[in-house]
Amino acid sequence: MARWGMVIDLDKCTGCQSCSVACKAENNVPYGSPEEYEKRQTPFWHKLIAVSNGEYPTVKIDLIPMPCMHCDDAPCVTVCPAKATYHREDGIVIQDFRRCLGCKYCIVACPYGVRSFNYKEPDEEEYHRPDPPPERADRGIWPFPHRVHGVVEKCTFCFHRIDEALKEGKKVGEEVVPACAEACPAHAIYFGDLDDPDSQVSRLLASRQWMRLREEMGTSPKVFYLTK
Amino acid sequence: MTTDFVALEGKSRGYRFLIAVLAVLAVAGFVSFIISYIQGHQVFGSNNVIPWGMPIVLTIYLIGLSAGSLILSSLTYVFGREEYRPIARMAVFLAIVLIFGAMLSIALDLGRPEKFWRLFMFFYMNNMSSMFAINGILYGGYFIISLVYLGIIFAGSHRASRITGIIAAGWAILVHLGTGAIFGIIAAREAWFSPVKPVEFLAAALTSGAALLIVAVTLILVLSGREVKKKMVSSLGRLLMYFIVILLVLIIVDKLIHLYSAHREATLYMLTGQYSWIFWCFQIGLGVVIPLAILLNPRINKVIGWVVTAAVSVVIGVFFERYYLVIPGAAYPMQYYPGKIEGVWGATGSFPLTPVEMVLSVGIIAFLIFIFIMGLKYLELLPPGEPAKEAVKEGKEEAEQADNTAETSEGQQGNDER
Repeated sequence: MARWGMVIDLDKCTGCQSCSVACKAENNVPYGSPEEYEKRQTPFWHKLIAVSNGEYPTVKIDLIPMPCMHCDDAPCVTVCPAKATYHREDGIVIQDFRRCLGCKYCIVACPYGVRSFNYKEPDEEEYHRPDPPPERADRGIWPFPHRVHGVVEKCTFCFHRIDEALKEGKKVGEEVVPACAEACPAHAIYFGDLDDPDSQVSRLLASRQWMRLREEMGTSPKVFYLTK
Repeated sequence: MTTDFVALEGKSRGYRFLIAVLAVLAVAGFVSFIISYIQGHQVFGSNNVIPWGMPIVLTIYLIGLSAGSLILSSLTYVFGREEYRPIARMAVFLAIVLIFGAMLSIALDLGRPEKFWRLFMFFYMNNMSSMFAINGILYGGYFIISLVYLGIIFAGSHRASRITGIIAAGWAILVHLGTGAIFGIIAAREAWFSPVKPVEFLAAALTSGAALLIVAVTLILVLSGREVKKKMVSSLGRLLMYFIVILLVLIIVDKLIHLYSAHREATLYMLTGQYSWIFWCFQIGLGVVIPLAILLNPRINKVIGWVVTAAVSVVIGVFFERYYLVIPGAAYPMQYYPGKIEGVWGATGSFPLTPVEMVLSVGIIAFLIFIFIMGLKYLELLPPGEPAKEAVKEGKEEAEQADNTAETSEGQQGNDER
């Protein structure tokens, strides 16, 4: 079984946030209003943080795109009382909306703040998209036909794309990648099988220096960052 | 052992007025729950940084009061301390009402409250490594055990109530350790992550439980025109003093653990940041300093009025301890990457107190008081009092609505008695 992972090359990343926008479009995540953003009630499946170090003349800014880290030892999976969030066989941490009670314990437990609560009933035009737009018609029915307020949502590594690709026999990581990787104009995001030594991600991790976020939490994330 | 118990007559104007006011507040709370259910949690102040709001504050507070109250009732039924017997039944009933309120406010805080039953599908649909699932067993079992305990007390079997009392008190300790573990095991939130947290919660539970018991018992006995035994209140006050000292030690130990560890920013924020006045004024000032000053002063620590004042101060102080842990405790931004995170992800979380959430919380509390005083009317919980004192209850609604004024007037009464 494959073990999907993502490699983000911080050297190539320009911080344009195409990945965040593509994620919202692909997964029908509501855009939210500026007021909701200030209240931090907007759902984000993928976000980009800017980190500054130092004072004005000698300041350094790091731009870090942050999808869900899909940790091997995920704190959210440990704390979920209803088995609503769990590891798939391929290592993707998935959220089942039908089981989720909305107790928000996983949001509290996540060290990366990648989980979002659905604070309001989804607007019709934002969520319900019974027929995909023409350029996506090949992907079939939308994977989340019914979404409600009061549940927790998160990045899925675009599992619907992966599943579809495997069914059709396409190569995941080369022909088919998650929406954020597909949208990146700088080709800074790579996706592939971490267990396969010949995959692009494995080769990158073997040849470059990499790091993961908040290693001290012991979560072993599957999103790797190639340092500048 | 000769104490009989009676029910409150509940025919006075004050009692009926109080019932009506509480019922209106409870209905208002229910309406605000319906609003939050239809519109989603956007009507609450919680957000993705501070996910838990007032209902969770209320939950852990009520669980604490409940566990503390039940453990104190075991003083009579397990350890045979006869001076507490007049209030022991009330303590058990109070514990049942409060744990019911705690479970109710968890259920109303869920995003999808109709899936509440999923928390109780133990080992079948539940992930038993989650503290919530373990606490489902603890809370549900606690509720059932306390009901059985009250039933056995009513049946009047001495030996059976002793055995159930031991089980119930032990289970109550587990309940509170479990509640503390909800917060203590979250490694991501530095201000919460601590092995001391469960024990600190237990100490806070005993403190607030003893304090609420003093307040509730004195209030009910005075308002129903019964005699308040000075010896009972002052010995409960001494017990409260020991609990406060233990709590203070555990708070200090907890803060020291965090200040010595490598990740101390969140704790520093809690001790010196924007909202640290809540910690210093309410949690330490009202919760520890004022009651200790009263209870350690040999001239006033036997006066009913002063002991009740100290207890009210503790009840408020421990509430703000819970508030401070749940809301500002989660506000400090997490360090996803070393450095200063710019923009909204690195900003400290804010928590507006929205009207819907406030009405919901007040409604839950009103509903609990409603159940409690209905219980006083229909169950034999009170020690017998002298008849023809029902007139005193005229002042009951004022007393319940404005606790503090009631306390001061009672303080004067206490002084007069002295």
